[in-house]
Amino acid sequence: MFTLGLLPLVSIASFLALWALAAAAAPNRDLDRPGRLSLACLLAGTLIAYAAASLPVFLAGWALSAAPHALGLPGPRRGVQSAQIASTALLAMGTLLLEALPGARSAVFACLMAAVLLRKGIFPFHSWVLDAFGNTSLLPVNLLLHSHLGGYLLIRFVIPLMPDIANQALPFVSVLALFTAVFMAIAALAEPVPRRTLGMLGVSQASFILAGLGNGTQEGITGALLHWWTVAFAMSGLCAVYRSLEARSTTVFAPRGHLGFGVRAPRLAVYFAVCGLTLVGLPGTLGFAAEDLLFHGALLASPLLGVALPLATALNAITVFRLFSTLFLGKRAIHTTPIPDARLRERLALSAVVLLLIGSGLAPGVMIALRTPSTLQLMQSLSGR
Amino acid sequence: METLLLGIVAAPGAVFLFLALLWLAGFTPPERFVAGFTGAVYVLLTAASLWLAAWMIREGGGPVHVSLGQWYQAGDYHFPLSLAADRLSLPMILLVVVLTGIVGSFSVRYVHRERGFFRFFALLHLFTFGALLAFSAGSYDLMFAGWELLGITSVLLVAFFDERREPVRNALRIFATYRTADIGFLLAMFVLHSGGTTVFSALFSGQWPDQSLGGNTASPALAGLLLFITASGKSAQGPFLGWLPRAMEGPTPSSSIFYGAISIHAGAYLLLRSEPLIRSSAELRAAVVVVGLATAFLATVAHRVVPDAKVSLAYAAMAQVGVIFAETGLGFTRLAVFHLMGHAVVRTMQFLRSPSMLHDYHRVHAAAGGQIPRTGAQIETLLNESLRTWLYRFGLERGFYDAWLERLVLVPVSGLSRFLGGSRGTLRPQAPEAAAPGESQE
Repeated sequence: MFTLGLLPLVSIASFLALWALAAAAAPNRDLDRPGRLSLACLLAGTLIAYAAASLPVFLAGWALSAAPHALGLPGPRRGVQSAQIASTALLAMGTLLLEALPGARSAVFACLMAAVLLRKGIFPFHSWVLDAFGNTSLLPVNLLLHSHLGGYLLIRFVIPLMPDIANQALPFVSVLALFTAVFMAIAALAEPVPRRTLGMLGVSQASFILAGLGNGTQEGITGALLHWWTVAFAMSGLCAVYRSLEARSTTVFAPRGHLGFGVRAPRLAVYFAVCGLTLVGLPGTLGFAAEDLLFHGALLASPLLGVALPLATALNAITVFRLFSTLFLGKRAIHTTPIPDARLRERLALSAVVLLLIGSGLAPGVMIALRTPSTLQLMQSLSGR
Repeated sequence: METLLLGIVAAPGAVFLFLALLWLAGFTPPERFVAGFTGAVYVLLTAASLWLAAWMIREGGGPVHVSLGQWYQAGDYHFPLSLAADRLSLPMILLVVVLTGIVGSFSVRYVHRERGFFRFFALLHLFTFGALLAFSAGSYDLMFAGWELLGITSVLLVAFFDERREPVRNALRIFATYRTADIGFLLAMFVLHSGGTTVFSALFSGQWPDQSLGGNTASPALAGLLLFITASGKSAQGPFLGWLPRAMEGPTPSSSIFYGAISIHAGAYLLLRSEPLIRSSAELRAAVVVVGLATAFLATVAHRVVPDAKVSLAYAAMAQVGVIFAETGLGFTRLAVFHLMGHAVVRTMQFLRSPSMLHDYHRVHAAAGGQIPRTGAQIETLLNESLRTWLYRFGLERGFYDAWLERLVLVPVSGLSRFLGGSRGTLRPQAPEAAAPGESQE
């Protein structure tokens, strides 16, 4: 029923850390009964999915993690609810087909890949993510998106079960993911609402993971697996800081001009800057090693893909800095709302994230070593050996 | 000497980490401590760099190499950690430590009691680390890491006076320009990696400045072109010239070290380092010369009409770097290095004196016994009235650069962005758990 190899163990450990960050940095109002239930379902469902030894158990975990959003607990939005129900239904259909009609492998693959694309918000299924980021509770949707269960389904079940079809289809998936990355990066450039901007950044950067997995090279897959952590922790840090600003002042929902909170909350500003710059590959952070490997992998697979990745990263970097300057710079202290800086539990949680991102960036060899067995196993599956 | 070189490069990074960890732990050191600590660090760095230079001169000018193995590797790809001090990088290392030390000392009074005093010095140390890493890197991969740190610290210092909107807006514009130009660096690395390596000693044979292409260089002209684009971005040349005047919103000491001395010349250094790649194509060499001279002309015209002292100096710096580009394109690399060093030192001094410029002018004019005629005034008289008027407008409008950029790049890109994001009028997010303004979460 459950298995605890290196990949599940590492995934469980990193998700526990993410969940702890979300719980520690969440404002008290996010921890009401629906909020606590959402976080509990996300934790239980994701851990079950990571530890699952078979597809039906994985489906149970997937469904449980999607349940809060499918039921509208973090905020009722039809698009978000439909996307969760549809992705779970597609996964269930794929699982059933695999059990009932083992010969219909193409149909199984199509169902599972559609579930992956929906869950990860890959074009043309990106709109539910923006809707969820814009209109539902921020921390649960961040956990939902950056548990990366879609990517996990791909590497844990889809590729090992159907390596021949995956070999043929993954290059197209890679192109679609890169298109999503560039598309979202361009869209984010002029987006005025911070929550939606965060959603676009998350989708764009998370698309690199699928692009890296899809190009089939060791560099690309290792980079994708490192980027998994980068996006998860950096986006969680960004969302935690932004949510703490929302809890302090309503002006952040749709800022007209600069808000200048850096004067009042310099620590929150620094946490935001470090997480944001990690997300776009600042040297000395985990993001640099991840994106370096991703770029080289993409280039080996196709030079055109190698051009798209730096372009999307550059655009996302501009967006990160724009968002940072909108929230934290550009206004005198006497004109800003008097908000408190990071409180103790926020400081502890966000400092841990910052230290993790920088520490693992200075010595990325440790993180690469944790990912290498999974990479080699995946390559072995893809090469059919 | 290998340990010494490693120590010189690593020390400012370690100081930055130390200060950052102190701050993260909730302790902000007092001004006196930061100033004393910074002074001690730069005195030691200067002494160490001079010692390294003396040793290299005594040994006949041969390079010092430090190989620290691989930073990380995956599959066939590895990131080499190698440093090198040769005849090109040593002058740059000396420039960085000496000028940053002087600027650091000057800044103790300049940013005294500023809210961002600690931030300024922390970023100054990170900048020094980035610059030393970029100039002493033994490969393009490692150079890129330093290059990016150089860029982000310079942007954060332009936005130092973060209570005003203009510095913040200009910082964003500069960041966007840097990141756009840096795409060329990444692509150049990919091109070079396809030949197997980005390590200088494998790419180029011989010692700088008598280097030639080694056997491992794939598509040297393409790599050279991409690096030329990146160098133009960092040195405000050609289509990237618009950011430099905007960078003058930062505090004067940081303008001095970034845009008078180090950052503005980083592009010229990249070009000099990549000179064998540039030399591989006559068209590319011609492009370097034309872009350098065209920028020099435009910057000279703008320099003569702008009323602001720092902006005027920025254009003057841009013009000189344009000439350095042209010298590099023509193959006068030794001359370019001398020009670069002399220009960096003089421009740093001018920037640091710019707050007292009127006082200095009055003193000089008084000492000369009257008004000193403007340089180049006799050339202006050779031009007819209408051409002079047009050039005056051309200079005032800074070559109409911002208008073109707005029309050809910013408006179409933001239109495309709004179209793709569907962000017109529909983006009023619901705020289901909105707090009252100023309400605390606890």
